[in-house]
Amino acid sequence: MRAEKICKSFRRLFKEKTVLFDISLSIEEGEVFGILGPNGAGKTTLMSIFSTLIRPDKGSLEVLGRDALRDTHAIRERINISSGNPNFPWSLTVRENLRHSAMLYGLYGRRLYRSVDDAISAFELGPQSDAKFETLSTGQKQRVSLAKSILNRPQILFLDEPTSGLDPEMAMKTRDLIKKIYQEEEITVVLTTHYMPEAEELCDRIAFLREGRLAALGTPKELKRALQIGHRITIEYQGVIDPVRLRIIPGVMEVRELSGRVEMVFDHSGRTFSTIIKAFGEADILDIEIEQPDLEDVFLELAR
Amino acid sequence: MSWRGELNKVLSATYKNWIISKRNVFTVFELIFWPFIGLLSIGLLTRFLEVGDDMVAFVLVGAIALSILQISQIDVAYILLFDLWSKSIKQTFVSPVRGYHLVLGAMLFGVIRGVAVFLVLAAASGHLFGFDFLAGGAVTVIVFLAGTFITSASIGMVVCISILLFGQRADVAAWTLSGIMMLVSGVYYPVSILPGPLQILSKSIPLTYLLEYYRSAYGYGSHQILLGMALALLYFFASLLILNLAIERARRTGMMLRLSE
Repeated sequence: MRAEKICKSFRRLFKEKTVLFDISLSIEEGEVFGILGPNGAGKTTLMSIFSTLIRPDKGSLEVLGRDALRDTHAIRERINISSGNPNFPWSLTVRENLRHSAMLYGLYGRRLYRSVDDAISAFELGPQSDAKFETLSTGQKQRVSLAKSILNRPQILFLDEPTSGLDPEMAMKTRDLIKKIYQEEEITVVLTTHYMPEAEELCDRIAFLREGRLAALGTPKELKRALQIGHRITIEYQGVIDPVRLRIIPGVMEVRELSGRVEMVFDHSGRTFSTIIKAFGEADILDIEIEQPDLEDVFLELAR
Repeated sequence: MSWRGELNKVLSATYKNWIISKRNVFTVFELIFWPFIGLLSIGLLTRFLEVGDDMVAFVLVGAIALSILQISQIDVAYILLFDLWSKSIKQTFVSPVRGYHLVLGAMLFGVIRGVAVFLVLAAASGHLFGFDFLAGGAVTVIVFLAGTFITSASIGMVVCISILLFGQRADVAAWTLSGIMMLVSGVYYPVSILPGPLQILSKSIPLTYLLEYYRSAYGYGSHQILLGMALALLYFFASLLILNLAIERARRTGMMLRLSE
């Protein structure tokens, strides 16, 4: 999938608001690609453009080798989407909603029934299959949406906050299922999430959006390195140390001295760690705690 | 995509309308209660006014036509209305369906419900007011119903177009358009009594010709059914074209997203 200089504005009454500015990125086949960013960054709009639900004002978009602004129907046959806070016709049961969705994708005969059954079983919706959509909990509705998204065995799956509203156990199962789907079916997954450990666990690469602009793009490791978000180390000691010696060590970004304890942020690459230890000289080191940076730190840094 | 796949895309709208209708207690009101009340009121009014059988036939044809039109057009409008009310429009429009799949599927269900209403009202009017709905022959009834269903589909599509252009508040069009039709197409009176400009307007509405055609079987003047059918088909295809354009516009303006929020 390749997007070139995608722009999108929405007009309401006499006000026009631009929500995406010149977004260019490409997503490789079989990769799990995350779109992250604070609320209002343009994630859902970008996802809606990628899934051909809405059209960009400017720019070009190629999905599965086709022009997504022209061959939309052919593309829609081969993609699917699960959106956050999903809605389906309320008075239809889970099975009826999935059957209806399968019909929209042109499934018929045995394949239709098998796809619906498989989707129900994959997301453990069996006990709710005859319950009306309006009676389901938020998490169950989310699972219906996920079940719907695999009905047509898509080549690209768009997941807009796929685990929002799910309890931790179901969220974990869902993440496992997403992994299983893209590993077994070799499909491309594009997902948005607010949950950073989820992005770190699932995504090969991540695009950070901020105020409609692409703020960063890369693997989680690349992003942490690019933003110089270092490891956090806390050392408890007894004796006397010279904090100035710690501050001048190459790779040390921050030093905070407390009584009997030093907190530092440092670049883990290179020999920084051993140099830090040596700098304690004659002092006795009682305890060392190292915290790795996570995407949460990247997110906070980029959202600033 | 195979023909069976295409057929199932069409039938998806039929399936959804069928399930929602069978679960909705108001379906009974839509199908039987309101049409029957309308027919009964008009029929009793003709008794009170002591009009002849020919005049009874004139107004009963209008009452039956209006009921069929209302029920069939709302089924096509339900393409968007059900999704609008449940805020699930994007589920439909991220899938590979086209406007004609949805219209034909909903129209099929509208035809089934319209025929049911026609049979109920025809039987009731025959039993209560001695009206023979087959006086003009089966072909007359079939042509009249076919024209009414095609016209209803166009009205239903105009409702969908209004929603896609103007948002959720435009759903009121679903109930107002058939009212306007009633006023100008001579449902309860000949269009000749309308003021000049409205008479011109009535000549552009297929229902006017369909009513004239059906009534001609009961001795009411001449008809121009070919013109009426041509207009009905012209409006049908024009509405379908505009519906597709409105869907594309809603994708450009973001209305598609707003209708799902």
